[in-house]
Amino acid sequence: MKYIQTEVLVIGGGATGTGVLRDLAMRGFKCVLVERRDLTHGTTGRYHGLLHSGGRYVVKDPQAARECIEENRILRRIMPDCIEDTGGFFVLTPWDDPSYAPRFVAGCQAVDIPIEEVSIGQMLREEPLLNPQISRCYRVPDGSADSFLAADLNAESARQHGAQVLTYHEVIRLLCYEDGIAGAVCLDLVNDEKVQINADLVVNASGAWAGKIAATADITIQMLPGKGTMLAVNHRIVNTVINRCKMPADGDILVPAHTVAVIGTTDIKVSDPDSFGIEPWEIRLMLEEGEKLVTGFGSFRILRAWAGVRPLFQETNTALNRDVTRAFVLLDHAERDGKNGLLTITSGKWTTYRKMAEVTVNKVCEKLGVRRPCRTHLESLPSSTKYQGTRSPVYHHLGARLAAIEKESSYGQLICECELATVADVERAIIQGEARTIDDIRRDIRLGMGPCQGAFCTYRATGMLHDLRHPAILQTNAALRDFLNERWKGLAPILWGQQLRQERLNQYIYQNVLNTDALPGPKTTKLAPDMYATSDDSSRVNYIPSSTTTSPTRSISSTDSGLNTTPRALVSRSDVLVIGAGLAGLVAAWRSVKRGKKTYLMTKGWGATHWGSGCIDVFYSDQAAASKIIPSPSDFIRQLSTSNPQHPYALIGLEGIQEALNEFQALCSEANYPLHGSIEKNWMLPTALGTLRPTCLAPETMIAGDARQRTPMLIVGFSQFLDFYSALAAENLNAQYIFASDITLDLPSLQKRRFVTGIILARLFDTPEFRNEVAEMLKPRLGNAARVGFPAVLGLKDSIEVKQDLESQLGLPVFEIPGLPPSIPGIRLHNLLVAAIERYDGFVFNGMQVEGFKAEQEIISMVRSNAATRRKPHYAQTFILATGGILGGGSQVSERGYAQDTVFDLPILLPDQRSNWLRDSFLPSGGHPLFHTGLQVNTRFQPVNKFGLPIYQNLYAIGGALGSCDPIQERSLEGIALATGFTVGEHT
Amino acid sequence: MISPAPPNNSQTFEVVELSLDQCIKCNICTTACPVSAVTDLFPGPKYAAPQAGRFRQPDQPTPDKSVDYCSGCRVCNMVCPTGVKIAEINARARATLVEQGKVPPILRLRNNMVARAELLGKIAQPVAPLANFALHLKPARWLAEAMFAIHHKAPLPPFAPQRFTAWYKHHPRPTGAKRQVVYFHGCSTQFYEPRIGRAAVRVLEANGFEVIVPPQNCCGLPLLSNGEFRAARKYHANNVSHLVEYARRGIPIVGTSTSCTLTLKEEAPELLDMHDEDTYLVTQNTYDFNEFILLLLDEGSLNLNLHPIPLILPYHIPCQYRAHRLGRPGFETLGLIPELHLMDSHASCCGIAGTYGYKKEKYDISMQVGQPLFDFVLESDAPVVVCDSETCRWQITHATGRPAVHPVELLAAAYGLPIEGSLAEIIMDGVK
Repeated sequence: MKYIQTEVLVIGGGATGTGVLRDLAMRGFKCVLVERRDLTHGTTGRYHGLLHSGGRYVVKDPQAARECIEENRILRRIMPDCIEDTGGFFVLTPWDDPSYAPRFVAGCQAVDIPIEEVSIGQMLREEPLLNPQISRCYRVPDGSADSFLAADLNAESARQHGAQVLTYHEVIRLLCYEDGIAGAVCLDLVNDEKVQINADLVVNASGAWAGKIAATADITIQMLPGKGTMLAVNHRIVNTVINRCKMPADGDILVPAHTVAVIGTTDIKVSDPDSFGIEPWEIRLMLEEGEKLVTGFGSFRILRAWAGVRPLFQETNTALNRDVTRAFVLLDHAERDGKNGLLTITSGKWTTYRKMAEVTVNKVCEKLGVRRPCRTHLESLPSSTKYQGTRSPVYHHLGARLAAIEKESSYGQLICECELATVADVERAIIQGEARTIDDIRRDIRLGMGPCQGAFCTYRATGMLHDLRHPAILQTNAALRDFLNERWKGLAPILWGQQLRQERLNQYIYQNVLNTDALPGPKTTKLAPDMYATSDDSSRVNYIPSSTTTSPTRSISSTDSGLNTTPRALVSRSDVLVIGAGLAGLVAAWRSVKRGKKTYLMTKGWGATHWGSGCIDVFYSDQAAASKIIPSPSDFIRQLSTSNPQHPYALIGLEGIQEALNEFQALCSEANYPLHGSIEKNWMLPTALGTLRPTCLAPETMIAGDARQRTPMLIVGFSQFLDFYSALAAENLNAQYIFASDITLDLPSLQKRRFVTGIILARLFDTPEFRNEVAEMLKPRLGNAARVGFPAVLGLKDSIEVKQDLESQLGLPVFEIPGLPPSIPGIRLHNLLVAAIERYDGFVFNGMQVEGFKAEQEIISMVRSNAATRRKPHYAQTFILATGGILGGGSQVSERGYAQDTVFDLPILLPDQRSNWLRDSFLPSGGHPLFHTGLQVNTRFQPVNKFGLPIYQNLYAIGGALGSCDPIQERSLEGIALATGFTVGEHT
Repeated sequence: MISPAPPNNSQTFEVVELSLDQCIKCNICTTACPVSAVTDLFPGPKYAAPQAGRFRQPDQPTPDKSVDYCSGCRVCNMVCPTGVKIAEINARARATLVEQGKVPPILRLRNNMVARAELLGKIAQPVAPLANFALHLKPARWLAEAMFAIHHKAPLPPFAPQRFTAWYKHHPRPTGAKRQVVYFHGCSTQFYEPRIGRAAVRVLEANGFEVIVPPQNCCGLPLLSNGEFRAARKYHANNVSHLVEYARRGIPIVGTSTSCTLTLKEEAPELLDMHDEDTYLVTQNTYDFNEFILLLLDEGSLNLNLHPIPLILPYHIPCQYRAHRLGRPGFETLGLIPELHLMDSHASCCGIAGTYGYKKEKYDISMQVGQPLFDFVLESDAPVVVCDSETCRWQITHATGRPAVHPVELLAAAYGLPIEGSLAEIIMDGVK
């Protein structure tokens, strides 16, 4: 047990707690704040970011409204870099009672909120996406606030005035003596140590958790945690805060916050602030209410959902949360419960946090018998370092980060590309911000909060955390796992459409390419994020979705002529038309064209070859890994014919798969890029994480990394290459008893570059000069290594030559280690297949998305592809669908639980309830049920209907489009693509 | 997010910037971008379009000037598996830079000089010999670089002694033509390479068309790619007003400049948010030359009386042509000519990208982007290169010294029509 003595102990690291701490410190009190996780981990970090003008409360709660506008003015003054002056609109939609508007206007005037009516024309000029049916619009001084930064700055200011902030200190109990409270006992989660803090006075600022804290001293506080669920839209569909002009209700606020627009919220009473779920009906409600504000809202990409718990309080219980006062409450437990030494400040809103702190500290002064005036409204918060370099703006603005990046030309330094967090930002968050988890980094610099939700930055931040803090490797691994799961919890409720595709890519990266499952160490840790409780579709509470709102399709391309005769479109004719350019499509086209068929391959863009490892994974199962015996892919496949007869492998049979692998190996050898291995054994090859990934066929450039051979490795990274962390990889290999050391080269030729990506390195490795530079610097540093591993960037043109050159210069075997996309080894496979197709006079057309088709009597006669102004028809005898399922964009799942392939509208059966689609963790054992879905086919790979009959006689489906398998989970993605593409291309 | 006014007629359309929501950050575009492959002044398509797009806001200072290094070749669009309109987002971001005065005045003046081929032609072509002399005088080019930042080596084509329309005015109309077609010549044919227009007219007439050449402006593409949207809008509106009558009557509008036809078909309406009915009618009735020839072939009305041309020639599909998303119409058309064999350059871009390669600060980038193409041409040993787009032809000739021709010139030759320019000598030699 550790002991700390202080005057005032503040419990809770949210807006209120940090605000109280600052006020205390500024008034000269010795004070300590404890927070059970990181600052803003609770409700403060989970709100929509609205700086209220007070307009929302003018009719219902004028007192709250008055406090809001007063504080609004103060906060704009003391923390401009936390605030974006978006302004706010209150809009009257056709669904709102028009008689509310005059009451609203009068209410604003009564509490001195500046208000002006805006014409609808002007409103639409400023916010063109707003529903044009809106009939009235009023402007008020709402804003958008960065609650993370504000709490950090309050804490920083408090520290400057002598306060102490202890994060990851969870209160176990308050220290009770006969006449009251004298501090608290905490658990330091990081050091796993108890800490007793003795204080003259304790301020319970733990928000919705105030009741739980008080209960440890047998004090009853009736909290009514009100869960509010919010959704973030991928980009700023509005730049002004939009409120509905009506009594406050669910889903009536749309806030532009940083790069996203947040719609909120619901308000549902929950019994426990630590356990609640996000329900599908809440999501639907947000979408439908959003539609009333912004036409087409439901068609926008939703990034994420989250929920916070409002700390609502009432002395007497009430069932309806919204009617509980939003003004704050200060409880003096000496008066209320006869227990000295404890104050509870709770309820209220973010906007009034400072006022709450002022009132609380006034009470502290009174209790401790001193008179010290509040100064928090007079002195600005310490200026944030984040936006240094920008011309100090009065307020934060959306373009600030991009402007800063441009100013320093640091676009090659991005760790989180979506939210523009640079290496320097992450370093600052880790070192100055004392980040312990990647989630802590996120709260500081928005890492992982953009569209890809951590696809790239999770790995990079893990590498940096490890490099900078040197924690035990298992702790680093825990940080990675925890963050993947933390992102997952807010994604699972909103996975449909493009965000689902994004998540499938993320799984491909983390499960398949990096094999995160195999990371040494425990699956969860005590610093892990708490997960939302599993949602249940049956828990729909008194909400009936309105059928009146429809979401008009916003994005129909203008390319279809709609005219009958003229103008006409250019036609193409072929024997075989393959749609999709992933491995499956390319292989099918190659075999088809080789047989002398006139073959065209049409694709929207390039496929999953560019994302994978560049190996051919055929099959592997985690369950088998546990038994320490590594079965061969063929063992698995033999079992499949009985355990899962609809599995694509079962439909082909072992011999067919074998033939496909052999022929493909022959092709690769011809192209001087041999793939080694056989279906009888899996290689175990290192990944950029240092895990071992089982794979069936691996390029010659990788096989020297095989882990069943135990000679020591040297893992080589490059200082400027942010997609590979050699120490992380080496230490994980060591943790698996494979001796590895690491080195990071700082090459002069790379120092001159503003960015160094995988593709840049690959092109450099194609040149002898660069190879010489690498070898020269590396040679004296080889140590006792018996082989040398590089990131998988060893050339695009002739990687065998690159490998051999390095080997002869270093005198050691050299191998490549795959990591984040783009996959250079995958691009090599893509290129050699395209070359093979063109060698036999087949053609690959990219940028030509297939958008429609014509069929008569179960025969498809043609498909149409997107082209400038007119779709282009393509006639063929045979059509092969290789559009890659959810990952490839070939099947789309809607929020309403409907899925179909995007070319031929073939139906795809999904698990019946959304809650049965996905499991609770990002990479669950056995996978997510949703991802076992896909097209059902017969033994000839024709998509079939529910009666097992072909839907079209001349249509075949291959690769990721197929169901009855989860290729990412099974590590069979490339194997299925290759085998089905080969079979259909060869025999159809 | 920038959002234009809603469409004022019945068609729906996709707002360019909204397509950024499709991005899954997968980096495929970054592997294909030919510009960021050779310079780190352009951060790459993913950064510039879907990423930076989330930080741009109308009525606020636009934060990123690096987007100006996008050449607009659209290779990224063609490989993107999710459908982000990357090049268009970049073009519109550049227009905001221009609008907000973020482009230094001297560069903006320069951009307007290189982007106004029509104006330049109108002034200089009448004094072609003098202009050519001046424009190809070394000190004059150095002066132009110093004063206007136009690179002294950039390939400026010579002005033709006679404008295309001047020839056309005196060109005898064929008798007995049953069908009509509108020919959109574009600025290059008008002022620099009228031989291509003459070949086009002759080929169309050989197929029984009466060729109409209505008054027309520059298509506006050079202005669009320099962010000068206001001026581009004027040009496009003028063109629509000149062309819409023909479109209404169902008379096809055919052009030999792939970038002009793409602009009429798609670029101008999309980038400028011109979604009125007239513009739409013009888009629908505009065809690239090869596309049109193949349509004739398809309906069985193409004159197939083509003489052999026993040559093996390198063919480069311009990036602007790929952006039509038509496949390989150039190959298919020229494939009709007996004994003519084409070798595909497989190069993504010649680097010039319209006016990009003319600029002092971008010339070197442009030449490096085109290097794989130049190597291919030089290795081929062929006497002439085939390419649909004028600036690409000039760039190829500039970098390799090989003359370059438009496919229509080969078609004209195969029909036995008068051949002009470098092709004339080669075919004479070849036939011998």
